[in-house]
Formats: sequence, structure tokens, C-alpha cells
Amino acid sequence: MRKTLLILSVLLVTTTMLFGAGQADKPEQTGPSKVSMYANITAIEPILERYKGESGVEVEYTRLSTARYVSTILTEVEANKLVADVVQGPLSILEILREYDVLSNYKAKAAEGYPDWAKRDGTYLFGIEYVGLIYNKDLVSAAEAPKSYMDLTDPKWKGHIVMPDPATHATTIGWLVGLREHVFKSDAEWYRFLEGLAKNEPMLVASFSPTGAPLASGEKKIGVSMPKYIVTQAPAPLDYAKISPMLGSPRAIAITKNAPHKKDAEAFLEFWLGASAASQLATDVGEYVLAPGVYPPIPGIAETEVIPIRELTDEEIQKWGNEFGKIFALK
Amino acid sequence: MEKRNARLTYSLIVIVSLLTVAPVIMLIIGSFSNSLHSFGNFTLKKYVAVYTDPMLIDILGNTAAFVLGSALFATVLAIFLAYLNNRTDIPFKFLFKVVSVMPMMIPHVLFGVSWALLLNPTNGILNMLLMRLFTLSKAPFNIYTIPGMIVVEGLLDLPVAYLIISPAMGSFDATLEESSRVFKAGPLKTFFRITLPVLRPAIMASFILCIVRALASFAVPSVLGMPGRIYVLSTFIYRVVSMSLIADYGKAAAIGMSILVISISLIYVYRYYTRASDKFVTVSSRGFKPTVVELRKGRIPLFIIVLFISALLILLPVLVLFYTSLIPYVMEPGIKAFKAMSWDNWRIVIKDPISVRSLKNSLFLGVVGATVGSFLSVLVAYVIVKAKTKAAGFLESISFLSFSFPGIVIGIGFMWYFVRTPLYGTIWALFFGYIATYLPYGIRPMTSAFIQIHGSLEESSLVCGASFATTLRRIVLPLLVPGMVSAWILLATMFFRELSISVVLSRPGTETLAVQILRFSEDGQWGKLSALGLIMIFVSTAMVLVVNALGAYFKPGEVREKKSVWTKGEAKLKAAV
Repeated sequence: MRKTLLILSVLLVTTTMLFGAGQADKPEQTGPSKVSMYANITAIEPILERYKGESGVEVEYTRLSTARYVSTILTEVEANKLVADVVQGPLSILEILREYDVLSNYKAKAAEGYPDWAKRDGTYLFGIEYVGLIYNKDLVSAAEAPKSYMDLTDPKWKGHIVMPDPATHATTIGWLVGLREHVFKSDAEWYRFLEGLAKNEPMLVASFSPTGAPLASGEKKIGVSMPKYIVTQAPAPLDYAKISPMLGSPRAIAITKNAPHKKDAEAFLEFWLGASAASQLATDVGEYVLAPGVYPPIPGIAETEVIPIRELTDEEIQKWGNEFGKIFALK
Repeated sequence: MEKRNARLTYSLIVIVSLLTVAPVIMLIIGSFSNSLHSFGNFTLKKYVAVYTDPMLIDILGNTAAFVLGSALFATVLAIFLAYLNNRTDIPFKFLFKVVSVMPMMIPHVLFGVSWALLLNPTNGILNMLLMRLFTLSKAPFNIYTIPGMIVVEGLLDLPVAYLIISPAMGSFDATLEESSRVFKAGPLKTFFRITLPVLRPAIMASFILCIVRALASFAVPSVLGMPGRIYVLSTFIYRVVSMSLIADYGKAAAIGMSILVISISLIYVYRYYTRASDKFVTVSSRGFKPTVVELRKGRIPLFIIVLFISALLILLPVLVLFYTSLIPYVMEPGIKAFKAMSWDNWRIVIKDPISVRSLKNSLFLGVVGATVGSFLSVLVAYVIVKAKTKAAGFLESISFLSFSFPGIVIGIGFMWYFVRTPLYGTIWALFFGYIATYLPYGIRPMTSAFIQIHGSLEESSLVCGASFATTLRRIVLPLLVPGMVSAWILLATMFFRELSISVVLSRPGTETLAVQILRFSEDGQWGKLSALGLIMIFVSTAMVLVVNALGAYFKPGEVREKKSVWTKGEAKLKAAV
């Protein structure tokens, strides 16, 4: 028995040493044809496949949710184990990473046509995670659809709305605050909207992803959701309320300061910011991109004003999350 | 013997500590650290913040109702099914094996979503059907409630309860019941006064494990609780983590500590009530022979009840998954849906290289991980039951450490731990993380099985000159086959669909099935998700069937019908020496 235990312990230690050894050196590797990308944008595999086909460089895509993003990267940086060459996420998150000196200041040529506000010392805004009022067009006609955000407070929508929990979902918190800053003229009007929406007892879910299924199936008629689902969940009977402006968090991308595959990362960033990748991002993934003249294949979207919301600080997110939590009080 | 047990105990304490204590220590330090991502500047502010939250009282109430309700539901249902399967002449017994383990194979998020599709109050398929049938003006069921959550979580935890109770029920010494009947006790009185008390260790193990599982459960509270605005501790943790761009996992760990304390206390309660293990021995050198209770008139009605449970557990959710896998988006069943059906989702999933790679990784982790985990479980369970020392109690407690934390937290503990080792970013991080976290799934069935085997069998072997290893290999292990099969199945199916740790530790190349399913869910690709989920169920079922067949082949009970167990035990003793 002691022998068995001894063998088990030796196995535990040796496998740890043997199989981990290669990983320990990973940040120093400078392999010629690989880029590691940490991202929270979804459904981008076809774009990465195409890049591999065109350049021969494989992009290893690690998906990180917003909640785990900063913690994971900073933990890896502290242990000198960050393997990411390129990081993509909401602008506010990349700003935090820049504060911790994780990002490089690479100047991308492909971003030359981008508006000035989309270029920030090596961090590039390439799209907007736009949010709108999405409805099931089998159940709601275009005429019945809201014409303004305030229309969502109409009691006819009571029990028929789905949206991410405004107490916990950072993007939704930012969106609601953005409505105050860009749509509603006064706090009183904004609070009337919030309270009216809460009175309609929306079904609250963890994020935007779970809003798609209840809308497509007709469990809910309308929701605060992402117009990109009209593309990614086609042929689901989804449409969006044509309300201007539409708001969303800026999506950003940057190269890490100590990228193990720096040259490959730079080439990939140029590709990502270029018109052809942006076009695929819009067409296949339904993303709203900043490349001039490129729009997702959603009727009317080119005419809709889509504006980026201000990045909220951590304190603001917590403050407003608590406030919205009270308004949309738990049972 | 005592000296050898002590050496074994301390060696196991070292191994198990390496696996389970380190991530928990990381979490404890994190919960007291001021910084959000590094250790140091110790403070109590995170504890103060979470434990003075005004929502906490309501959340604790919801959690108690959800956890106790689902554990009770799962355990009672498991006793019912295990009794019918092991002790009665109910027909089609194979159904029980399928019913009892099938929910293990279904990813919990999918199971929750299936039930939402069936019983949501707006257009749930079953609700609509009942409304039409009984001309009701309102949906009769609302799945987004605490009772709804209890039923779904209870069904998901049923396999755990069944796989612990069933082996104990299977090796029950029927002479105890016969004695009761000789003294004129009726079947019900015998069941409540003899059968249940003798099975107390297994029932308590099942109940406690289900409580710990439900405490850590995130899928059901998030899919069914959050839409109904019902928060429990695990979703409260999610809320705390989500409330900031730099997630404060220290706060999450601070909440996790109370769950840890509850779990460890439950283990001590369990040890206290099962300390006189001799009371529960049913397999001794006297032999044991479970007899079959004839159900007579109750045979068919009881079988119909089992069929009904099977439909609830397997047929409905699997049918919903299959249906969803054939349609392009989530839609109500009808002509439109029928016209839109195709195999596209299946074709895409089968050709998708990441899905294929995640299947291979999950298979490796399921088969190899469960085998190593079962072996470790046998040793730990042996020490827990036979040594009965304080050190053994300590070993039992530390084996529960990682398991007691909600998945959302323990995954971070492993990240903080493994990032300091060369394992980080490799499949071995998942391998050891799985074993460390789910070790109790292996240990519980094994301890229940060990408790029922009398020490006289081993002593006889040792007296006859067999070594300890030979005794273990030739006497104890064969009698433990049902428990080992349960342990392996629990571990393998758990590893095969594990998400909490995988989502934190998997990287390109080490994706697992659950991570790929999560990706499809985040992309709103429910059709592909269902297709991959069904592939997962199919492969898990095949694994379970193979292991069950192997277990049946090696189970002493199979020979028992031809030879008495005494003869077999005697033969084993002879062979051993």
C-alpha cells in the first residue's frame, strides 16, 4: 500500500513538472505563426479561420466573460504567465488594463480612417456593442412597436419584457445611465422611465445572451437586447424598434505590452481593423463596426444613429447597480 | 494494523491536501486581502460588506428552502427508486438504471432551459397543453418559483442520491427484515423501523451531498431563479462578482466561507450519527442474501409511477433537446417548426474542430480522471471508515473542502493556485482540479459500501496469512464493486460535463464539452448547443452502460444466485491465502 501511495505521489509531482514545464516558458516563446487573443466578443471564429487561411497564422481565441476578464489577466500578469498577444473587450476594461501597464502603444495603420475618439494610445475602438428594443415580429407588428424608449413603460407590455438584470449587468447599467445622458432631458423623466419599466415586471436574466431565446420563441414579446441577434439567430422572427439614437458600449482591441508573438499580433491587429474583417464582423456576426461605410445586414440600421456611451467608473457601476436594484426590487 | 492505518492516513492527508487545501487557502487569503487581484494588506472589509448586505436575510431564506427542499426531494425519490429496483419484483428494472443516472449526463443549464420551455407561464409547452385540455384561463405552473427550482434541482441531484443509496440497498441483509416480520411487524413498519435505520449512513450521505450540491448549484438558480427574481447564495455571489468591472472574488470567497462552514459542519453531523458503524454492517462473514419483496397488486401501479418519473426525467427534457437541435431557432412546436426542421445543427457540430477537440478532451478527463479519482476514493474511504481516528475525520473534512465552495468561486481558487505552478494552462490543471473538487462523489458511495462490510472478513484473511494488499485486492475490493461502479459513474459523468472549473482553467487546446456548450449558449446557438448536448448524453450513456456491464460481471451478487455468498467468501479466502 505504501508503494502504491508512493507511486501516486511521484506521479502527481512528475506529471506536474513534466507537462507543466512547457507552459511555464510560454510567455517567452516567440513562435512565428500563432497569436493568442483574449476576447469577450462572441461568434468570431469564422473571421479567425479566414485569417488563418489568408496568412497561415493561427489565432488562439480564449473567451473571457466581462466578470472574469480583468481578474484573469491581472492574475496572469502577476505570475508572469500572461500568454495573450491581443486583448479585446469593452473599452472600460481595456482602460483598466492600460492603467496597470498591460497594453502596448502600437499605432495601427489600418485605423487611420477611424474617428479620432476611436484611437487612444494603442487602444482601438472598432465597434459598438449596440443595444436596442428587440421584438418578436410574429407577435408585435411594426406599428405596435415602441417609437420611443418611454413607450416601453406602456402597461400593455406588462409581463412581456425580457432584459438583463439592471442591478448586476454592467453593460445594461451603462446603457440605462447612457439613456439619461443622451435621451432623457431630466432626471425626473428618466426616473419615470425606470419606474415605468420596473412596473411592467420585466423578466430579468443574467446578460444579453439569454434574452434571445425567450424573444425568438415568443415567451416574451419585447426585450432590451442586442440587434445583432437579428443576424445571428436568423431566421428567428426578430426585429428592432427604430428608435434613434441607439446606445452601446465601445468595443476595443489592443496588443499587450509583452506580447510573446509581437509581429504576428501587429499583423493581426491590422487585419482586424481593416475593412474586410470589419465587413465580415458586420455581415456574419451582426456587429456594429466603426469602419467607414460598413453596416450589419439589418434593414434601416445605416440610418439609425448609434452612439457609444461613456465608460462608467467602477464606483458608478456599483452606485447605479444598487440604485437600479432598488427600483427593480427583488421579490 | 493500527500503525499501518496511521501511515496510510497521513500519506493520504498529504495527497488530498495538495489537491484541495491549496486553492481554499488562496481563497481564504483573497477574502482577507484588500486588493482585488493580489494578496496582502489584510482587512475584514469584504466580510463586512457582504454580511451586512440588506438582501442577505431574504437570500438566506430562499437558500434554505431551495437547498433543503431539493435535497429532501432527491433523497426520498432515490429511496423509492432504489427500493423498488433492489428489493422488489417490479418489471423492467433496467429502466431504473437509466432513469437514475440520465440527469447526470444532461448539462444542468440545458436541463433548466428545457424545463423553462416546458413550464414557463407564458407559453410553456406543457402549460399550454394543460390550459387547452382543461380550458384554464391561466398557466397552472410557473417554473420560475422556489418549488419549480426545487423540483428541477432535485431531479438533477437524484443520480447522486440514487448511486449512493442503491448499492447500500442492494447489499442489504434481508434476515434483519425477516426477523422483524417474524415478530409480526407489517411491511411498512419493517421498512420504517428496520430498513431505513440500517440504511442511515447511505441516506444521510445522500442527503448531505445533495445539500452541498444544491448550495453550490448555479445553473438552476440562474436559469430559473433569476428570471423569477429569486436569489440564492450562489446567484448572490454572481451578483457580487458582476457588480464591478474588476470582479472582487475576495468578496465572493467571503460568502463562500459560510457555505464551507455549513458543509464541514454537516460532515461532522454525519460522522456523529454514523459513528457506531457496526450497527450498519450488513455484509459480514455470516453471509448476506437480499430477498425480493413481491409487490403483487401494487406491481403495475408502481411501475406506472416509475414510467411517469422516467418521462419527467428523461423523455421530456431529451425530447425538447432533440426538437431544439432540429430547428433553426427556439420556436413553439407546430407546422412552422416542422417545416423548418433539418439536420444542419448536427452537421455543423460534427464538423466543428473545436467541438470535436472538446469531446476528446472531455473523454480523456472523464475516463482517466474518474479512474484515478475512484482509486483515490477507495483509499480515502477505507481510512475514513476503518481508521475512525481524528486524523481520519480530518481527512474526510479536507476531502470536502473544494467541493463545498460554489463552482463560481472554487474555479478562481484553482486559478490562483495553478497559476503559481507549471500546470496552469494545461489539461492537467483541469485533471487535478476535477479530482480535487469532486472527490466526495467518489468517497461517499465508497464509505457507504465500506461501512456495510464487516471487519471480520479482512481479519480472517489476515489471520490466514494474506498481506494487507492481497486482502484488499481479493476480499474487500470485489465486495465493493457496486460502490466502485457508483463512484466511477458519478465521477466520470461529472467530469464529462464539468463547467465551473473548466470555464476558468480551459484554454485553446484544452476546451471541454461544457465550455463549448457555454460558448454556443453565449452565441444564442441553441440548436447547436442541443445537438452537442445530445452527443454528450449519448457518449456518457455509453460509458455508463459499459461500466455497469463490467460492474455486473464482477459483482459477487451475480454469482450469488448460483453459489451462496458464504461459499464464495470461503473460496475467496482460500484463494487469497
